[in-house]
Amino acid sequence: MSEHRRVVVTGLGIVSPLGFETAGVWEALRAGRSGIARISAFDPGGLPSQIAGEVCGYDARKFVSPKQRKALKVMCRDTLMAIGAANIALRDAGLLDYPRLDRERAGVVFGATMMSSELEELVEAAVEAHDEHGQFSMKLWGERSIQRMPPLWMLKYLPNMPACHISILYDLQGPNNTITMEEAASPLAIGEALNIIRRGDADVMIAGGAESNIHPLRMARLCLLGDVSVRNDVPEQACRPFDREHNGVVAGEGAAALVLEAEEHALARGARIYAELAGFGAACITSADMSWRVAPAALVAAMRAALEDARANLDSIGFINPHGCASVAADRVEAAALHELFGAAASRLPVVPFKSHFGSAGTACGALELVAGLLALHNRELPPSAAFREPDPECNLRVVHGGPERLERGAFLKLNFNRVGQAAALVVRSYEQG
Amino acid sequence: MAVHRRRVVVTGMAMVTPLGGNLEETWAAAVAGRSGVGYITRFDASTLPTRIAAEVKNFSLADYVAEASRYEECGLNTKLALAAASMALDHSGLDMDREDPYRVGVYLGAGEGHQDFETFMRLLRRAYRDGLIDVPVFNAGAVAELSARNELEQSPNMAAAHVAGFVGAYGPNSNCLTACAASNQAIGEAVELLRMGYADVMLSGGAHSMIHPLGVTGFNLLTALSTRNDEPQKASRPFDLHRDGFVLGEGAGIVVLEELEHAKRRGARIYAEVLGYGLSADAFRLTDPHEDGRGAVQAMQHALRDAGLDLSAIQYINAHGTSTREGDTVETLAIKKVFGEHAYRIPVSSTKSMMGHLIAAAGVVEFIICVLVIRDGVIPPTINLETPDPECDLDYVPNQAREARVDIALSNSFGFGGQNACVIVGRYAGN
Repeated sequence: MSEHRRVVVTGLGIVSPLGFETAGVWEALRAGRSGIARISAFDPGGLPSQIAGEVCGYDARKFVSPKQRKALKVMCRDTLMAIGAANIALRDAGLLDYPRLDRERAGVVFGATMMSSELEELVEAAVEAHDEHGQFSMKLWGERSIQRMPPLWMLKYLPNMPACHISILYDLQGPNNTITMEEAASPLAIGEALNIIRRGDADVMIAGGAESNIHPLRMARLCLLGDVSVRNDVPEQACRPFDREHNGVVAGEGAAALVLEAEEHALARGARIYAELAGFGAACITSADMSWRVAPAALVAAMRAALEDARANLDSIGFINPHGCASVAADRVEAAALHELFGAAASRLPVVPFKSHFGSAGTACGALELVAGLLALHNRELPPSAAFREPDPECNLRVVHGGPERLERGAFLKLNFNRVGQAAALVVRSYEQG
Repeated sequence: MAVHRRRVVVTGMAMVTPLGGNLEETWAAAVAGRSGVGYITRFDASTLPTRIAAEVKNFSLADYVAEASRYEECGLNTKLALAAASMALDHSGLDMDREDPYRVGVYLGAGEGHQDFETFMRLLRRAYRDGLIDVPVFNAGAVAELSARNELEQSPNMAAAHVAGFVGAYGPNSNCLTACAASNQAIGEAVELLRMGYADVMLSGGAHSMIHPLGVTGFNLLTALSTRNDEPQKASRPFDLHRDGFVLGEGAGIVVLEELEHAKRRGARIYAEVLGYGLSADAFRLTDPHEDGRGAVQAMQHALRDAGLDLSAIQYINAHGTSTREGDTVETLAIKKVFGEHAYRIPVSSTKSMMGHLIAAAGVVEFIICVLVIRDGVIPPTINLETPDPECDLDYVPNQAREARVDIALSNSFGFGGQNACVIVGRYAGN
């Protein structure tokens, strides 16, 4: 592979069930707190799983200028959280009011997915489209329903809206992309942003992910897909990746953004550097039944590619920032992949599964977990899982729990994958000049 | 930029479009200037403001792949993608038994599968009581009545997953969805992955069908679609003074992109070389392009710079040309800003005049058209260009195909929301 520019992380932004500022989120993670609770944004009655990592008390107006507030009306929950995360990350990087930012060389890549329409915006249209016998009629839909819908309805829910709105709010005219790969989306987006800077198409990229599952249709869909936790009575103990009692995915929502920057650009402006984003890899072995029983080989291939891309040795890795979604099948597949890659060291390597704190925010989960991992690397400390007690012997991984642990080595491996076998990995390491 | 950059060539192509079920059928119809637009048959659109679209006719996946029943529950976008992938693989002659599967990847710009609209509407109505939604009633209904598989297949990652599974490609797998720029951007990013060495072969392209109730409704609400319902075949008229919006199309295109040395080693037939890729964002408004064409200009300039070409090298432009009032004017302006006087000497045509707007799949189909223009020395026309718009004064190859040797072509795609992706493709010139 050819020599290319190094890329560093200079800003972190997060809108999560544990808060909206990195300092507060870090304290909550260190304390092993879980952001998972019974869903409060709507009545989750009728759903098998009624718990989630929900973002409460978030007000997007705080993250835009008074002039920009009008735009918030055409944003749905996913996008509202995305623009907050981007704002926090840009401010953290010292780029919010940085006059010398070349806006043609600054862009955005976000992971996102199809967003579900707020039911309130469709319900009257739905009622109008039924005839007196209660039969749905497309004719009535065209005659009556369409007038009941807001003119910009569609634009609110397109998956590219987080990246578009961020580019518009901050006049970022560089590369702009949206990766729609479910739980693998964020590392794919961040890896793509890494390569955009490496190849010289931009100097600064905002990369991350945004998704909200706090929506009746989204929750119903997750429940239908199966392998969700129904531990509704003890929400904060529900999501237990690699634990003997892991019993399914817990939904979540949130957004997280990283400011990635070409090394020389960051050094020239004296930016604080969290770490180097050193490697990216991706692979896919499409699973036959699409039920999280994916081939470990896909995960191994993605991680190996990321390590090679970073020219990192296995022994340089201080902890694993796993997908860890608490599906029994997915956890065991992931554990098998880690054992294959790391051999005997796998059972000693600290594993920090942040879904126990955040739940699974779909396309955003990787970005949330990556920000958490970067905070851990920066603080040289590994936060404990919020719910882990005893290892699943079939996983045999050393999940950090009980209390925070000191981080011994200055690099970590991030992995995410989805139920159909699409996987992506990143390698992050402490920045060293030269 | 990079000194020793790996070169990327096109070794296979396929498409399923409103003009035909495969590459050559589509190409023959495009050269003949035929329209694929008609009345919507996928659902009863008789009372919607727009009742016309360019549908893929008589499509059955079983005509393309064995064991089509395995994919029965997939969305139409996935089925179209599989049909194109199967043909593209054959076209490339790639033998997966002789390839390292981890060095073959997939990067698509594919859309969503179709929602079970009627059930969704019924669930909503049932939950509506006294002006409010009884959410638990909706929840219970949704869990009981929606199909798990159908919900899964709606996700916009599924086409890329199924194509990878079908081909046996274990390498990098991604999907972008940047509205109308998606599959051009997918091609560009797939090229970059090959250049960087993440893979040796990438299947790229896209698939999309928004000819579904909420798709047509959503675009109608935005007043983006043509409502020329009485003359469907005249409705898509890019650059014509009387254009009144775009016509929805649907379909898929897949290209096999390959690192040059890899292609040579296996003796592949090389159809073209991808020379340059440029992208940008308007960062302006959700619904409108920047009035100066700022983003479009930047994307074209970046593509030219990436290709290391002087602007006079471009001999054909496949325009984004959607037939919207503002879009066509701004694109014309942007082309003039980039190419200056040379702009008037470049044939620019919009094949959307014939196949409508394939949204996420538009870019790849138009990229393939560019390769075929280079291969056959004929430029497909912009049909329905009857009354020139004074603001659109380039050579749009009106109504009749034209013979011309083209060695280097540019394909433009500009997405709703302001993402722009341009790709330059050229005749493969050996070393």
